[in-house]
Amino acid sequence: MKETLLLTKHMRDFPENSHNIDVYEKNNGYSALKKVLKEDNPENVINEIKDSNIRGRGGAGFPTGVKWGFLAEDEDRYLVINGDESEPGTFKDRILLERDPHQLIEGVIITCFASNIKKAFIYIRGEYAKPARRVQEAVEQAYEKGYLGDNILGTNLSLDIVVHLGAGAYICGEETALLNSLEGKRGEPRLKPPYFPAVMGLYNKPTLVNNVETISSVPWIINNSGKEYAKLGVEGSTGTRIFSLSGHVRTPGNFEIEMGKSFGEFVDTFGNGIKDDKKVKAYIPGGASAPWFTGDQLDIKMTIDDVANAGSMLGSGAVVVMDEDTNLVYAAKSIVSFFAHESCGQCTPCREGTTWLEMILERIASGRGRLSDISLLVDVCDNISPGLSWPPKMTTICPLGPSAVSPITSLLDNFSDELMKMLPTKIPIAQ
Amino acid sequence: MSWDNELLERAHKIIELYPQKRSALGPLLYLAQEKDGFISDDSIVEISNLVDITEVQVKSVSSFYSMYKEEQTGTYLLSVCKSISCEINDSRSVINSVKEFTGLENYETDQDKLFTFEEVECIGACGGAPAVQVNYETVEGLTPEKTIEMCEWLKNDKPEIIVADQLQNKFGGTKSFDWAIEDNTGSAYTVPGFQNIGTAKEKDN
Amino acid sequence: MSDQININVNGSEIRTDSDQLIIEACEDSGIHIPRFCWHKRMDPVGMCRMCLVEIETPRGKALVPSCTTKVSEDLIVDTESEVVKKAQEGVLEFLLINHPLDCPVCDKAGECPLQDQTMAYGPGESRFVEDKRHFEKPIPISEIILLDRERCILCARCTRFSDEISGDPLIEFIQRGNKTQVNTFPDEPFRSYFSGNTVQICPVGALTSTSYRFKARPWDLKKVSSTSNCSSMGCSVELNVSQNKMLRILGEDNEFTNQGWLSDKGRYNFEYLHSENRILKPVLNNDSTNEISINESMELISNEISADDNSNISFIVGHNSTNEEYYALNNFVENLNKVNKDQNMNVYLSDDYLYEGFFQNNDLLGKVQDLDSVDTIILWAQDIKDNLPTLYLRIRQAVKNGKKLVIFGHTNTAMKELADSYFGQEIISKNLEFNVEISEIPNFNELINDKNVLAIIGKSSPIQNTNSISNLINYLDKNSNLKILNCFSKGNTFGALQNIDLVKGLNEFINEFDGSKNNIVFTIGSNPVNSSIHSNQIKDKLINANFVISLDLFKNETTELANIILPTTSFGEKEGTFTNLEMRTLKQNKILPTPGSVLNEWEYWSMMLNKIDIENNYESEFELNLQLCEEYLDKDNVPSFDNLNKPSNLDGVLNSKSINIEIQNVEPEKIEILFVNRLYGDSSTQINSPSISMLGAERFIEMNNDTFIKHNLSSYTVNLVQGVSTLQVKIKINNHLPNELIIAPLNRRGFRDIDTTKPYELIEVKNLEELSVN
Repeated sequence: MKETLLLTKHMRDFPENSHNIDVYEKNNGYSALKKVLKEDNPENVINEIKDSNIRGRGGAGFPTGVKWGFLAEDEDRYLVINGDESEPGTFKDRILLERDPHQLIEGVIITCFASNIKKAFIYIRGEYAKPARRVQEAVEQAYEKGYLGDNILGTNLSLDIVVHLGAGAYICGEETALLNSLEGKRGEPRLKPPYFPAVMGLYNKPTLVNNVETISSVPWIINNSGKEYAKLGVEGSTGTRIFSLSGHVRTPGNFEIEMGKSFGEFVDTFGNGIKDDKKVKAYIPGGASAPWFTGDQLDIKMTIDDVANAGSMLGSGAVVVMDEDTNLVYAAKSIVSFFAHESCGQCTPCREGTTWLEMILERIASGRGRLSDISLLVDVCDNISPGLSWPPKMTTICPLGPSAVSPITSLLDNFSDELMKMLPTKIPIAQ
Repeated sequence: MSWDNELLERAHKIIELYPQKRSALGPLLYLAQEKDGFISDDSIVEISNLVDITEVQVKSVSSFYSMYKEEQTGTYLLSVCKSISCEINDSRSVINSVKEFTGLENYETDQDKLFTFEEVECIGACGGAPAVQVNYETVEGLTPEKTIEMCEWLKNDKPEIIVADQLQNKFGGTKSFDWAIEDNTGSAYTVPGFQNIGTAKEKDN
Repeated sequence: MSDQININVNGSEIRTDSDQLIIEACEDSGIHIPRFCWHKRMDPVGMCRMCLVEIETPRGKALVPSCTTKVSEDLIVDTESEVVKKAQEGVLEFLLINHPLDCPVCDKAGECPLQDQTMAYGPGESRFVEDKRHFEKPIPISEIILLDRERCILCARCTRFSDEISGDPLIEFIQRGNKTQVNTFPDEPFRSYFSGNTVQICPVGALTSTSYRFKARPWDLKKVSSTSNCSSMGCSVELNVSQNKMLRILGEDNEFTNQGWLSDKGRYNFEYLHSENRILKPVLNNDSTNEISINESMELISNEISADDNSNISFIVGHNSTNEEYYALNNFVENLNKVNKDQNMNVYLSDDYLYEGFFQNNDLLGKVQDLDSVDTIILWAQDIKDNLPTLYLRIRQAVKNGKKLVIFGHTNTAMKELADSYFGQEIISKNLEFNVEISEIPNFNELINDKNVLAIIGKSSPIQNTNSISNLINYLDKNSNLKILNCFSKGNTFGALQNIDLVKGLNEFINEFDGSKNNIVFTIGSNPVNSSIHSNQIKDKLINANFVISLDLFKNETTELANIILPTTSFGEKEGTFTNLEMRTLKQNKILPTPGSVLNEWEYWSMMLNKIDIENNYESEFELNLQLCEEYLDKDNVPSFDNLNKPSNLDGVLNSKSINIEIQNVEPEKIEILFVNRLYGDSSTQINSPSISMLGAERFIEMNNDTFIKHNLSSYTVNLVQGVSTLQVKIKINNHLPNELIIAPLNRRGFRDIDTTKPYELIEVKNLEELSVN
């Protein structure tokens, strides 16, 4: 198993100055843009993206070409790049922003050309100060070289990019919350319908919201054709993906691979196995929201559909490996605390439920658990995500609340003994 | 204290970037935090006038986001990550070492206004767990010992500008990925160092 | 009109409008879905999740909020399934884990949706053993509202109301997630004209009124529907009384008028009813020790009336009488006239804003509801937000729904942000006349030509020449499909106009006062000596009058000059009808006993007639009502008590009568200061209502920044000096005003001595010593 470098090739080839516009240009950079400007057929660009079958890399995996096709007609339309990467375990956009910002900018310009958009925003989470600086620097270089602003490269195309910094709210990764945030409001997810910002988005105008990795893939697709891209990976999960590997592996990092290999192979090949030769007790296949797999399930294939069929999700492509000595109650508590902290507070079940779950786990972790807490946990989870099924049913506007349920059902389904160990052995009289 | 002309000029430049004034609210709040080390009521009044919304609407937004601070921060904001990858890589001991060194509990600032300590959720440095940010500059692969060294250095050297690469070189360990590109820019406030809000500062070598 | 479709709810077919939400469709069919955040007058937010229902989708059953999901043809809805019940129970348990158990001391208990729904849908017991969220117990967020954040369930009703409905977002969510709380900004409390509505719509006891705190339990309250006389909007209200004391006024949802909302003045201006300052017995010569019996007073008055066949008898009426009382007064005048044709009798309305209006053509009369159907709303009148606050809310709503708003003049600056076109100083002079031909007004014709237009029209200033208003109306009538709302803002003005044969203004009173004659003046629920720009002249006339009789609730500047004061009943103490600005007649009901030896106005007129041996043919409000109904133009739809008490007419009856107003148009003068009436002022009812008495105390004037600079001012506290009079005022900057025009509140203490056409000076208050000398 080895990496297939599309998005991370340039940065590997020119590690010390991949961010520099001259270096980028010298190595085929902005050639995809020049190509589409020369052809001057936006429809073709959209068709290439459709042909590539690329699915959004933010977590939901929605087909990008289809999303672009929804964009409603309007004088004002916007592109918003979702760089609010905050899902625990995920750091793939960070490397793309930090080390190859021009690839993203080129993708942005092509996308805006294809969809007749004149203003784009790159929303980067506040904690990514350094990546944001790199992108801003690159945007300024692109303006100087005539790739941005009015009459791009002498054509009629005009585009402005504003790099916007978030301020510490995971929920803004949800696209409608991100739009609210960009409008200077609380980052609360909007009601659905309307289901797609492509119909009603930023300032209620048609808006494309795409992930950093998705749009960074656009130059390659244009240069090599959508069909070539679709040949990579497997059906339903075409192309490459950058997986963020962390946890108890020897060599964590970002690895760009074609989808389709097993998690076990991935962990062994790129993570070089588990530190101190320990065994895997459990792993998270797609960021903190995803239900866990056990160490016995390492042969599951890394595709959107395989992971979904096994009861979890590939999500943001973040693989977190937990070794045999990991206290999974603490691990679950950490994830539940995360979601409790990041709940926007709109929906009662999420606002109250996630915090309650956190309190119960905190109590158990500190030795003050009760036997009845098991059924209580299950029932509170059920009141947030009825039936505890996967994909989750929701009592909430967005999936954040049900995300806090995932680690608890994972714990209860496969590791209930760990939880039981932390509870008193005597049955309380009240029960 | 209201904003001086220099700050107002920066504010107006930011507002011009957006199709609607209110979109500038987030960046303007960073200016407020740069000025006072937190979002003061005076700044809220100023911003409400700049973007034409009520004071409580500004407050509603500023208090929603973790990075806008309601109480005055010290010179150095130590944000220790405790989310899953850091948690299972013993971020707890890093947290404890910071607590021990500074004597601070979560969200506290010392009397000298040197350090503010907070436990934070995922900062996107999971491959380099456990990770810490100082004034939103990331350092990865810390150990308790290196953490203490870093705090000591901050206390003794009182660097004006915090730069991620310098922190990493001095105190860091395993990284999420090869940072590769040399960098000398960082932040001088408890605000992310970023050109658009005028907080990115270059460090002299 | 939207299409009708069928949906299936709990196994039964329901027919419903296709654009309705599930929760609305169910409600209309009598199926109640529990809810906290949803309110039919506000946009849904789907936050509390209490109204979850199951619907059938192509991918199986789905749990959806019924407040955000629209109905569709053949939709199958289950509001009672096990899954739904479980979810609702879950939501209630979640809401209760942080809700304090202080129902025994909570004003809301007994009428609390959280309490009620917990009983109906909630879990039996709490499994929450952790600490509840704690906040400081009630904190005042304004002079009249208290906030208890522990009780708050974060339904966003108050925050949405203030943002969406009243447009003054001063209360908001602070923090996020589990730490979220509702609050105001420290230096900018909840100073809204409409804040009380948030108390009424709060589904728990988080927002409470200082005036109602710990006063009563809902089950002890006696309730009756009525109509507010706070403004000529005629807002529907519910009066709540316990132990013969009015404790609370709530808004009722009348589709045609206030849609449930009230201004804070309409809501809280009632404590005066039980003020110890009320006059409870007839008083002679303004000497409180000189109380007389009603019979004695009637004797004295009838003697005066009969004494001189050639006397002038003037009636200065206010806005708080019922239609029946105005009718009885008119009947009194008519009968006196019949007996003695030499006596000169006139009725004057105590309102500086009165002018002929536009009543000639009934077809032109508009309705409030027209706001929702016209293309363009034209507004040129006094300040709507201050004088017709609930009409202001309706206009806001209409604009939100896409209606174009065009504002003329300098009084409605508060609505400039809402307007598509605001015609300020380039178009309208300081004297409120057009600077340009109406046809030449830029971007105006396209907003009105062949459009449906509702013009809300009235005088902006007491001394305005009304030719310009007429010109505008003529122009609109020619070029658009026009409807008119005559904008007389006060109380039951339209009831007075409908039921008094000829109504004149205060200026006419002054001009017609003939000192050579025997003058008898009645003031009826009016205080012209303290509420008019003509106050000083009126005072002179009353001093010179031979006999003055005041019918009123309180002693005031006018009753001071009266030979006899007759105590009268107030709102809540009398039954009758009220006509609002669209000629909708609504019912006012009695729920309080009459205090002391107080009589209704009509009873006095009746007794006086008896004393001078004139037969009169009514003995009750009911009979008066039957008589006044005879003059309505549409005979099939008269606003009789019988008719108005029918369930189908609880919202009132639209009908008109011929209206005669006689006012001399004033010559245009140079307006230096533009008077406006503020919502809160120094009326005797307000200053005798402790909860709101201080809200009208501040004295401020408004001007634009250029004017401020031109006057060389540096501080915002100045002395307004005109001749010998000096008034210390605060300055508020309002950049929508034209240069050199200053706005001052007519209904605040001290301002009536100012002559708005005379030059003035603004002199800075130099030191604190001067500040303290007020």
